[in-house]
Amino acid sequence: MPGVILKGLSKRYGDVGAVNDLSLEMKPGELLALLGPSGCGKTTTLRLVAGFLTPEAGEIWVGDRCLSSATAVVPPERRRMAMIFQSYALWPHMTVAQNVAYGLRFKPGIARSDRDARVREMLRVVQLAGYEHRYPGELSGGQQQRVAVARALVVEPEILLLDEPLSNLDANLREEMRFEIRRLHETFGITTLYVTHDQSEAMVISDRIAVLQAGRVAQVGTADDLYHRPRTRFVAEFIGRTNVVDGVATSFDAVAHGALRLHVAPGGLQPGTRVALSIRPHQVQLSAPVEGAEGANTFRGTVRRAAFLGDTIDYEIAIAGSDLVLRAAAAPTPRFEVGAAVVLRVAPGVCVPLGDGD
Amino acid sequence: MTKRFTVHAAAVVAILMGLVGDGHAQPPSKHLDGARKEGKVVWYTSLVLPSAERVAKLFETAYPDVKVEVHRTGSQRILQRVMQEMQANIKNVDVIHTSDAGHYVFLKEKKLLAKYTPAGVEAFPAGFKDKDGYYYGLRATVNAITYNTKAVPAAEAPKTWKDLLDPRWKGKMVTAHPGYSGVIATHVLALVHLHGWDYFKALAQNKLMIVQSANDPATTVSSGERVVAVNGGDYSAYQLKKKGNPIEIVYPKEGVPLVVSPTAITAFAPHPNAARLFTDFTFTREVQQVMADSEGLYTGHPEVTYPADKPKLSELKLLTVSPEELEKRNEEIKKRFVEFFGA
Amino acid sequence: MDRSIAVWVGAAVALVVLIALPLGWLGWLSVSGEHGTTLAHYRDAFTDPALQKALWNTVVLAFWVGLVSVAIGAPLAWLTARTDVPARGLIRGLVLASFVTPPFLGAFAWVMLAGPNAGILNTLWRSVTGADAPLLNIFTMPGLVFVVSIYTFPYVYIMVANTLALIASDLEEAAAILGAGRLAVARTVTLPMVLPALASGFILAVLQALALFGSPAILALPAGFHTVTTQIWSLFQFPPKVEQAAAFSVPLLVATALLLDIQKRLLGRRGYAAVGGKGGQRRIIALGRWRWPALAACLVVMSGAIFLPYGVLAKGAFSRAWAQPLSRDNLTLANFAFTFFEYGSTRAAIVNTLELAVLTACIGAAMVALLSYVTNRRLVVGHQLVAFLVLAPVVVPGVVLAVGLFIAYTRPPFVLYGTLWILFLAYLTKEMPVGYAQADATFRAIPADLEDAGRVLGAGRLRILKEITAPLAKSGIIAAWCFIFIGVIRELSASILLFTPSTKVMSVVIFDLKEEGQFGAISVLGLVMLGLTFATVALVQAALGRDVLGARR
Repeated sequence: MPGVILKGLSKRYGDVGAVNDLSLEMKPGELLALLGPSGCGKTTTLRLVAGFLTPEAGEIWVGDRCLSSATAVVPPERRRMAMIFQSYALWPHMTVAQNVAYGLRFKPGIARSDRDARVREMLRVVQLAGYEHRYPGELSGGQQQRVAVARALVVEPEILLLDEPLSNLDANLREEMRFEIRRLHETFGITTLYVTHDQSEAMVISDRIAVLQAGRVAQVGTADDLYHRPRTRFVAEFIGRTNVVDGVATSFDAVAHGALRLHVAPGGLQPGTRVALSIRPHQVQLSAPVEGAEGANTFRGTVRRAAFLGDTIDYEIAIAGSDLVLRAAAAPTPRFEVGAAVVLRVAPGVCVPLGDGD
Repeated sequence: MTKRFTVHAAAVVAILMGLVGDGHAQPPSKHLDGARKEGKVVWYTSLVLPSAERVAKLFETAYPDVKVEVHRTGSQRILQRVMQEMQANIKNVDVIHTSDAGHYVFLKEKKLLAKYTPAGVEAFPAGFKDKDGYYYGLRATVNAITYNTKAVPAAEAPKTWKDLLDPRWKGKMVTAHPGYSGVIATHVLALVHLHGWDYFKALAQNKLMIVQSANDPATTVSSGERVVAVNGGDYSAYQLKKKGNPIEIVYPKEGVPLVVSPTAITAFAPHPNAARLFTDFTFTREVQQVMADSEGLYTGHPEVTYPADKPKLSELKLLTVSPEELEKRNEEIKKRFVEFFGA
Repeated sequence: MDRSIAVWVGAAVALVVLIALPLGWLGWLSVSGEHGTTLAHYRDAFTDPALQKALWNTVVLAFWVGLVSVAIGAPLAWLTARTDVPARGLIRGLVLASFVTPPFLGAFAWVMLAGPNAGILNTLWRSVTGADAPLLNIFTMPGLVFVVSIYTFPYVYIMVANTLALIASDLEEAAAILGAGRLAVARTVTLPMVLPALASGFILAVLQALALFGSPAILALPAGFHTVTTQIWSLFQFPPKVEQAAAFSVPLLVATALLLDIQKRLLGRRGYAAVGGKGGQRRIIALGRWRWPALAACLVVMSGAIFLPYGVLAKGAFSRAWAQPLSRDNLTLANFAFTFFEYGSTRAAIVNTLELAVLTACIGAAMVALLSYVTNRRLVVGHQLVAFLVLAPVVVPGVVLAVGLFIAYTRPPFVLYGTLWILFLAYLTKEMPVGYAQADATFRAIPADLEDAGRVLGAGRLRILKEITAPLAKSGIIAAWCFIFIGVIRELSASILLFTPSTKVMSVVIFDLKEEGQFGAISVLGLVMLGLTFATVALVQAALGRDVLGARR
C-alpha cells in the first residue's frame, strides 16, 4: 500500500488560486481527511490527486511513481485509484451488480466467474447482498452510497478518494455511515483521502486531519492534536468551538487582557508580544460563588445567556471587571440561571497560545 | 436588326402619340372613360413572364391611368385558380389567357365568359376565332424540339419526334408537363394522334427530367442541364436563341403541334371596361407585331410580319387539335402522362 | 372562478377556430359521398398505384432522413458539448444557421450545385477529371434525403446536446477512474444515457421529413416520383379531388400523432438524466491530435448545409447565367431589378409576407404569453388540458392543415379563402406550439415566489404583472415573437394550397419562379428571405442574451 506525497501543488481558476503551494504527506494505509470551509481548495486537491486536473506547479507522487506534474499527468484510468463521488455517480442504465463489476472489466487477468464472485462478496460486505439485479433508481440514498463504496473497493485500488460522500444523507444515516466507512477502512487498510467540510465527520473517520485554508494546509495532525493544540486562530475556530482571548504577554507564562491576567502552561511566551489564547468551552470550570474562591485563572462573572442542549448547557458569561465574554459548556447540573453570579476557572494548561498564521 | 427595331419603336411611338395627342394614330376607345374610372385590369395569363410583363408595360404606357395586374402561371393552374375562386365566390379576374383551348370550351359551357369581339379581329384566320364570339386567339406557338448546340453537333441532333425514342438520349432529355401547361397538353394530344400512346410509353424509357412550364424545357436545354427538349413552346426557345444562348430549334417534318392561345373576358369581370380596353389593345397590329418581333410568337393578325430567321406558319406542317377534344380528353392526357413518367 | 371561465371560453373559441374546425371538416369530407357517409375516398386513395407509390416514397424518405440526421447531428453535438474541438462557437452558429434555413431554399440551391449536367459541382468535376458522367445527381431519392437531412439534423443536435449537458460529468469520471479509457467511457456510459435523446431526435427528424413539401416538389417531381405531400398538392389541381386529398391526409395525421406520442414517452424517461445527489462539473475530453481533423469534418458537413448553398444563391443573384462561371460580363444587377421592379408579384408578396408575419407574431405571442402564464401559475382549472390543446397543432403537418382550412373556409358562413385571413389562420395554428414552448420556458424560469413576495407586501395582481412579471418575462416573450415570425416567413407547405394570385407570399413566389426556371430571381428572393431570418435571429439572441439553440428544447 503506497503513500501519497503532494509537493507544492498549485492550481488556479482565473485570478483565484484554488490551490496554492500545497504540500502534504499521506502515510501508507492511513485515512487522511481534507477539512475546510467551501472554497478552501479541498475538492480541487482531490481532483488533482485523481488526475482530472493538471497542476500548474508541484508534483503528486504515489509510492515511487510521479503521477502528476506541471508537464505530465497520468490519466485517471491508469492511476490505480478509485473514487466515491458526492453524487455517487451510479450509472442508471446498469444494475447494481453491473455498476460494481465495472472496474473489474479493466483489470487484466480476472475471469468472468471470478468477477461475479468478487462482486457478490463485496455486496455482502456493504450489507447489500441480494441487491445485484436492482437498478440505482430503485434504491434509497444510503443504499446507493453503499453501492458506490462497493464499486470503489472491489477493484482493490492503491488509493481511495472520497468527495464528501455523506453530505447528501440525512443526519441519522450520516452518523451511521461514518462508522461504517471507518470500519471498512480498518478492514481493507487502503490509503484514503477523504474530503469533507464537516469537522465532526472528519474527527470520527480519519486517522489524521489536514485543515485547509485558502489553498494551503493550515495544520495537519490527529483530531486530538488539532483540538487541544491548534496552532492558528483559524484552526482553533474551525475545529470545535473555542474562546479566543487577545492579550499581551506580560511574562513568559502570563497574558494580560485588560485587567485580567491569565496563566499559561507550559510557558514559552515572548514578553511584550501580542498573544491570542484559545480556551475550549468545555474546559471552563463553573461553580457557584464561594467565599474565598481564588487562585490562578479564577474569575467572577455573571451568566448572560444559558442554552439547554440536552447533555450540556451552553453558557455565555460576562467576566466581572472586563469586557471579556467567555462561553462555557457545562453539565446540566448544577444549573445557573441567567443573571446568576458564577465563578469560572480555567486551568493554565488549557489556555493554548495561537500562532501568527491566521 | 436595326430596321426591325426602328419599326418596333415607330409602332410604340405611334401608339403613344395616339393618346397623348388628340388621337391621330387611332380613334380613342369608347371604353376609355369607364376603364379610367375602374383604374385597373386583372389579367391571369400563361404567357411567359417577361413577355407578359412587357405587354402590361406597353399597355400602361399607352393608358397611364389603367394599371395591369399580371398573374402569371401555367394554363392548368390558371384554370384551377379560376375554379377555386368561383367556388369561394371570389370575383377577381377580368381577362383569362391560357394556352389550352379546351379550357374555353369548358368555361363557355359554364357561362363564365363574356361575349366580346375585339376590334379588328374579323381578318384573323378561323382557327383564331370562336364562332360564338366568346374567345379569340391572342397568339400562337408551335411545339418544337430544341437542343444544346454546345453539347450536340447539328448533324447528330434529333430531326423527328421518333428520333427522340433513340436510347442514346437516355438521361439527357427534358419534358414539360401537361398538368401545368396548355401548350404541352396540346402537344401530347397531337402526338397521340400521330403515333399513339405507345409513343409516350417508349419515350418514358429514356428517363426524362420533368419540368412544369412550357418555356422551362428551353431554359433547361440552354443551361446545359439537359441537352434535348422533347417539347416546349418554340417562342421561348427563339427568345433564348436571340439572346445568344447555345440553343437551336428543330421543327420536325412529321408536323408540329400548333397551339393557339385564346383570351376571353370573364362574365363577372370586376373591371369590364378596362378588360375590353386591354383586350382591344392586345389585338392591335402594333402589339401583335411586338409579340411577333421580340417574343417570337405567331399571331393571327394578317398584317404582322415575322422575323426572317423563323419559319412561317405556312412553311410548317401543322398538327391541330380541336378545343372540344382537348377539353374532353384533358383528364386522360394528364393521367396517362403521370402513368408513364411517374409524376 | 369567473376568471377561469373567461380564459376557458376565449381559449376554447380560439382553439376551435384554429384546429377543431378544419380538422373536423377534413375528417367529415374524407368520408362524405353523394349519398351519405362512405369509405370510397379512402379506398380510391389507397388502391391508386400512384398514391401507393407516393406513400412508399414518403416512408423511405422519412426513415433515411431520420438516420442521416442522427449520423450528422449526434457526433456534432458530442463534439461541441463534450470535447475540446476548436471553434465550438462557430460550429454552433452554423448549426443554428442550418436550423433556420428554409429547406426548400436549400433544395433549390442544391439544384444549382448538383444538377447532373449544369450543376456547378458537376461541371467542376468534369473539367477536373474529364469524366462524362456527373459526380452527383441531386434529382434522386438519395439527393432528396441528403438535402432534407442537412436541414433537419439540428433537431437531433439540439436533443443530444441538451441531454449531454444534463448528464453529470462525474458519471463519466467514475468510469474513467475505474480504468475505462476515453472510448470505453463513451461507449459504456455516455452513449446508453443519450440513447433516449437520440431516438427522440430521430423521430423529430422523421416528422419533419414527413411534412415537407418544398424539397420534394423541387427534387422529386423532376425525377418522376411523388411524396405524400406533393401528391396531396397535385390532387388539388383542376378538377380538384378534395375528398381524396382529405382521405389521404388522415393517415399522415395519424402517423404524426403516433410518432409524437412515442417521442414524448422516450423523453419522459428522465430518470436517465441524473440519479442521486448533485450534478458535477463538465469534464472536457481532450481530442489530442484529432482536434483539427474533427473541426475539418464539422466544417465539411456545414459546407454542405451553409457555405455551398448560400454561396451558389449569392452567385445566382448576381449572375446573368447561373451555370456559367463568375466572370466580369456575367455579373449583373439585372436580377435584382427584375425581382423588385419588373416582376409584379414580388412587391405584393413581400408586403403580404411581412404583414402576415408581424400580425401572426404579435397575436401569437400575446396568446401564448397569456396561455402559458395562466397554465404555469395554474390560474384555471384543467390547465394541463389547455397546455395540451395549445401544443396539439404540432401533430398536424402543414399541408394537411391547409387541406382542412381550405375545406372549412371556402364555404359559408366563413369564406376566408382568397383573403390573407386564411393564411393568417394557418400560420397562427402552425406556429403557436413553438411560441408556446418558448413562453412556457420563460414563465417556468420566473419562480412564483417573486410574485408572491409582491403580493404579501400589498401589490395587486395587475400591478405585479406589470412591475414584476412583465420585465422578467419580456425577453422570453420577445424570443417567442421572433420564433413565430421566422416560422411564418419560411412557411410553404400550407401556403401553397391556400394562396390566390392576390394573396401570394414570398415562399409561394419563390416556388412559382422555380416553375418558370427563373433562377436569378429565386436567388435574389432567397437571399432576402435569409436576410430577414437572420436579422430576426440576431434580435432573439440580443433579447435572450444567450444562445438560441440552448433555449429551444
